[in-house]
Amino acid sequence: MSFWGPVRHTWLHRTNPVVKLGVICLLFFMTVLTHDLDVIIYQAMIFTVCLLLLSGIQPWKMLLFLIPFMMAFLASASSMMLFGKGDTIWWQWGLFKISEESFYRGLHLGFKGIAFAAEGLLLVTTTQSVDLFYALMQKLKLRPKYAYSFMASIRLLPMVWEEFLIRRQALKVRGVQPARGPRRLVVRAGLYVVPLLAQSIRRAHRVAAAMEAKQFDGDRSQARTYYYPSQYSRYDVLTVGLLAAAVCCAYAGASYYPWFGIGDVRFN
Amino acid sequence: MGVPVKENLELQSRKGLRVSDILVTVLVSLVFGIVYHFWGSVYSLLKPFQADELLYGMWFAAATLAFLLIRKPGVAIIAELAAAHVEVLFGSGWGLTLLMYGLIQGLGAELVFAAFRYRNYSVWVAAAAGAVAALGSMVLDFYYSYTDDLESWLFIAKYGMRILSGAVIAGLLMVLLAKALERTGVTALLRPASSKDYEALDDPRHG
Repeated sequence: MSFWGPVRHTWLHRTNPVVKLGVICLLFFMTVLTHDLDVIIYQAMIFTVCLLLLSGIQPWKMLLFLIPFMMAFLASASSMMLFGKGDTIWWQWGLFKISEESFYRGLHLGFKGIAFAAEGLLLVTTTQSVDLFYALMQKLKLRPKYAYSFMASIRLLPMVWEEFLIRRQALKVRGVQPARGPRRLVVRAGLYVVPLLAQSIRRAHRVAAAMEAKQFDGDRSQARTYYYPSQYSRYDVLTVGLLAAAVCCAYAGASYYPWFGIGDVRFN
Repeated sequence: MGVPVKENLELQSRKGLRVSDILVTVLVSLVFGIVYHFWGSVYSLLKPFQADELLYGMWFAAATLAFLLIRKPGVAIIAELAAAHVEVLFGSGWGLTLLMYGLIQGLGAELVFAAFRYRNYSVWVAAAAGAVAALGSMVLDFYYSYTDDLESWLFIAKYGMRILSGAVIAGLLMVLLAKALERTGVTALLRPASSKDYEALDDPRHG
């Protein structure tokens, strides 16, 4: 966590998580419903710039994120390019067929993937899970039993890892042969799955009983107080304005300086 | 003696999900989510060849397993959201996308369980839930990746494999896993006492 920790706090860090979640969800829907290649290229570029500026993480570390970006680009672009529907065929070899339409659609999907990733990272890199759940409880009236269960389970995860190590040692002590070959691997996985899940269930049940006793479920309490109060501030307005401006830039860029100008990439 | 028993049963059913139900669902799903996370990077290498579709049912497994264990309304959706939430925790750019997929997949599975009034825990219902979850992910795919614009043979192969995989992995395999977990006795912690249990208490032989 410390490696990916922000070196400076930006507006986005100070924004209420609920506002951030709402804005990013809106951006998501906008990107989902964008079918124009030029618009999506501008969106991908602008949100990547926003991410570099607003995440507060050192830019060279942020560049490491480019690796999954590129993989996503290749994965989503390649299958559409090779197997998509289209009439103007450029190249064909057996079942592979690249047509003009499928090529541009593949390109569109690649940039769409980048836009999604940049938008998602804007939220993820600037929001602590705990802050998000506290904000959801206070601002959106999420029932405390859900929020606290999620937060507690995050703390229980290292224990699951410990159980995994214990199980591995136990199997070693009992002289279970190391896995070789695919069938043995499946058998080996079976030796882990049931005990690990059973232990997790037992532990979760015990913790839940304690939480219920301490009224974490909030079923009976009317007014609740929170350790971390969640408030709206002027940074919420700034963030909304900034991201709205980014969207306007993307659309303006696409309409004044289009790269391809082919419009809707969908078939028909 | 019969009256308090009835009241108690009604009270339990009215309370809905308890912290214990939610926490168990979330923790089990997080374990799945972590498996997804490490497996996902290998898995995306298979993507251009569509071979990944045969394992796709794994993504719905958390929903059916959680329902088979807890047997209450709502757990399938929570399970899928929790599994997707792992990616948010890991700071992945796909976090939000996966949350949406999780929501719609969980909803698909939930609808099937609801259609049987949450009382049927057979292989067939679990398999149907896995298949409908696959359909849910297909609908989102249309928006996210225009898969309806793929060549028809590929489209049919892709989603045929996915639905089959949903039914086999999320259905059959998870029923077997739930049975194995039942043998360990942990599920007794989770299930609310049934009317049969209360009748056993009323047995005159116990005085």
